[in-house]
Amino acid sequence: MDTSQLLKGVLDLAVLAVLRKDDGYGYDVVRRLRAGGLNEVGDASVYGTLRRLYNAGMLTSYVVPSEEGPHRKYYSINETGRARLAESRETWRSFASTLDGLLEEVAA
Amino acid sequence: MNTQALGVEHYLAGMRAALDDLPPNEVAEIMEDVEAHVAELSTELGENETLEQRLGSPEQYAQELRQAAGYPSRTERLPVTTKQQWLTRPRAAAWGLAVATGVTLLAGAAALREPAVLLFPAVILALSLALVNDRGPVQQEIMNLPETHRLKKWLTPEEGTPAERALTYLRSLQPAWWLVRAGLLGLGAVLLAGRDILGFLAIAAIAVVSVFAGPRAKVDRRWLWFSLPASALAVGLLVQVIDVTANQLAYNTSRSSYPAPVVESYDNIYAYDENGKLLTNVLLYDQDGRPINAPQSYDSCNNTNGPEPVIPANRYPRPKIDYENGVCYTVAPGVSAPSSTESTTPSTSSSTSGSATPSSVPPTSVSPSK
Repeated sequence: MDTSQLLKGVLDLAVLAVLRKDDGYGYDVVRRLRAGGLNEVGDASVYGTLRRLYNAGMLTSYVVPSEEGPHRKYYSINETGRARLAESRETWRSFASTLDGLLEEVAA
Repeated sequence: MNTQALGVEHYLAGMRAALDDLPPNEVAEIMEDVEAHVAELSTELGENETLEQRLGSPEQYAQELRQAAGYPSRTERLPVTTKQQWLTRPRAAAWGLAVATGVTLLAGAAALREPAVLLFPAVILALSLALVNDRGPVQQEIMNLPETHRLKKWLTPEEGTPAERALTYLRSLQPAWWLVRAGLLGLGAVLLAGRDILGFLAIAAIAVVSVFAGPRAKVDRRWLWFSLPASALAVGLLVQVIDVTANQLAYNTSRSSYPAPVVESYDNIYAYDENGKLLTNVLLYDQDGRPINAPQSYDSCNNTNGPEPVIPANRYPRPKIDYENGVCYTVAPGVSAPSSTESTTPSTSSSTSGSATPSSVPPTSVSPSK
């Protein structure tokens, strides 16, 4: 099964989740997602998701000057983002358990 | 190293080209992210590795980013919105919102007198929101309108300028404004409570919902169709409350400083015919047949000659007493004494005195007692 298709629906949730504890700039978020096991996540998808979450008011951003190379724009989750994360997590859990249930029946 | 730097520049230029149909602000934000990303990636590249191998072509990168960010994809956007469709649904909805907010501001100033005027902007809002309700919470199409860009640009001055600091400060007050707004709307509802129960219920409902609408609009722009007009209504109500209070204050102070009603102060009336001749013994009555009496009476003229007033009080011109002789005379306005011979002369020289003030007329002697 193509994981990238599955990932599309839950990338919001994944990005909010990795920003929950620490702020991060784009590539940082990509690395955390990959370190968390989402190897197939595309760089551009993560950047696009960050923009969308930002435009939806769930993230704030600030720029940290860098001595070598361009400045880094950090994203941090705000209250709205946390609320959405909590909400999406519930949705995901019930969805996952529903699907688990269905798969169990098939196996049995 | 040099070739790598060149590669980065080339890649970024390709990205910009692939995104150049998006709002410039948004492109700038994206490129801030992407420049750092590409720069960092380029340092990780192996000997013979290129950015394209790691990230795909700039166009592919841009397309993937667009999809994830929820921007319209370039291929479907370009043919649709190049001048062919000027009046799009997002544009109509945005202008509907702007117009309805303006109308609400004006209507808000009259809402306490006639709450039904609010129905007009409410209808515009409902219609314009219906146009774009299915376009999702971000309303990217409205955000992409040129007029939205201009407004956004105007609202985001350069960083560090006083205007930018002022705006940042005002933004920080936004949650406070949401509460103040609810308070003002609540006050408006209370002021209506005794007179218009429907108006009271409507404005009270708006007040309650407005508390939630502010934060919701941050996440879902469709709430702006509620939040912006609610602010306008609150401001309108505030203006009206201030207006009413100021009027009452002005009324109170005017009453205390002028205990008696001000009456025009005239104490005689001179009637002239069309030839400029002073008419004497004119009796004036109002529409009910009551004599029109100038406020000040001329008791002295009557009293000197007898106990009973023989001349009716509404007969004009009233005689003027000449204290030196104890005789009552009728004199034209501006002439002080009937005995002076000078006053008779200028009656013919009309050019200097003009038509507004009739030239003086020789005084007519009136016998006060029969």
